[in-house]
Amino acid sequence: MNEFLQLAAGNLLSPMVLFFALGVTAGFLKSDLALPEAISKGLSLYLMLAIGFKGGGELAANGLSGTIAVALILAIVLSFSLPVIAYGLLRALGRLDVTNAAAIAAHYGSVSVVTFVAATGFLGNRGIPFEGYVVAMMALMETPAIVTGLLLARRARSADTAEPAAPRAPLFSKDVAREVFLSGSVVLLVGSFAIGWATGEKGLTIMAPAIVDPFKAVIAVFLLDMGLLVGRRLPDFRAVGLRVMAFGLYMPVIGGTIGLLAAHAIGLSPGGVTLVAVLAASASYIVVPAAMRMALPKANPAVYVTLSLAVTFPFNLIVGIPLYNAAAQFLAAM
Amino acid sequence: MVQLYKKKRLEIIVEAARSRAVIEMVEKAGARGYTVVPQVSGKGNRGVRDDAHLSDVFRNVMIIVIAAEDIATRIVDQSQALLEHYAGIVVVSDVEVVRDEHF
Repeated sequence: MNEFLQLAAGNLLSPMVLFFALGVTAGFLKSDLALPEAISKGLSLYLMLAIGFKGGGELAANGLSGTIAVALILAIVLSFSLPVIAYGLLRALGRLDVTNAAAIAAHYGSVSVVTFVAATGFLGNRGIPFEGYVVAMMALMETPAIVTGLLLARRARSADTAEPAAPRAPLFSKDVAREVFLSGSVVLLVGSFAIGWATGEKGLTIMAPAIVDPFKAVIAVFLLDMGLLVGRRLPDFRAVGLRVMAFGLYMPVIGGTIGLLAAHAIGLSPGGVTLVAVLAASASYIVVPAAMRMALPKANPAVYVTLSLAVTFPFNLIVGIPLYNAAAQFLAAM
Repeated sequence: MVQLYKKKRLEIIVEAARSRAVIEMVEKAGARGYTVVPQVSGKGNRGVRDDAHLSDVFRNVMIIVIAAEDIATRIVDQSQALLEHYAGIVVVSDVEVVRDEHF
């Protein structure tokens, strides 16, 4: 316990978290501080490229193994199944309608790349190694949750309308599919992973000055921008409501615990277990909102974006990451 | 003096997420072209709508179409079903253009 408090305090005083706090404060106070949009988009692309490339590079260094195949399957299973739990909780405890519950559930099965990146920064600062292929797990977790969310919404809709079933429309329209599979962040992440894997150690030597050393500093700058976004969303808390806000705090712990136990069971290192817990705990706020806005227009974006961006993201960043890491160390020591 | 031709000018402000569908409809309705202003912000019955950088769900775009009256009427009729559940404003005004054959 003491150790966890130390970890948490250390995390709280890291530049990452402090810059995030600065952003939240400035955004909430309606300061005119803003990163130019092109720069903030550029930083987010840089983070995708760096994290993807490094993950691919590490996979090349360590080679494919049976554990990797199991881990990749685990990622897909987690992403498909976490929304079912989230949906049940939102319906029962959150008292939400079907459409909003399904839309939010999809966010919680998917992942937040920035939370993941912050977690690798946390591990890096403490010299804790992790398996590079966890990055591939992240890429695989992005989409299955969207399928589950849309299935939940459709099943409930056909159950409570008496009218004859309309000719079955495809679950994914062309626009939604494009948004999901060809979203710039997904393409860059998967592409950089592939390039990192293909070029191996030589590639990493070339790219290291740009993507290894400045990485942690760039995360801190990017978190300043995230903080500004979060701070500006704080007034939307009213639209969310207390019951649903509470979900934004307990769901990451539930998802994180499931991810933690599953990753430990398949034999990942404490660093890897921490990251899988972070993936299972985090909620998407880029790819999934865009897909939900197209596929479930009746769901309220002010609710799902605020919940994942302004409630769950800060929770994971400040409390979640050190908590999952302490739990992973504890499991490993058992 | 150059001769001017009467046309209708449609301004459709719509969520970025729905803009592709609206543009498809505009083209199918027979419009020969359109102009897109990729980001507009302001306040309406959904509150303040403003780009939030990361996710496009709070971004609005403006689609401007200049067309003959029958096509404009068709676009207005068909726009209503497309805009259900989305932020959207449709405005029609009378304008005059120089190059009749372009619209």
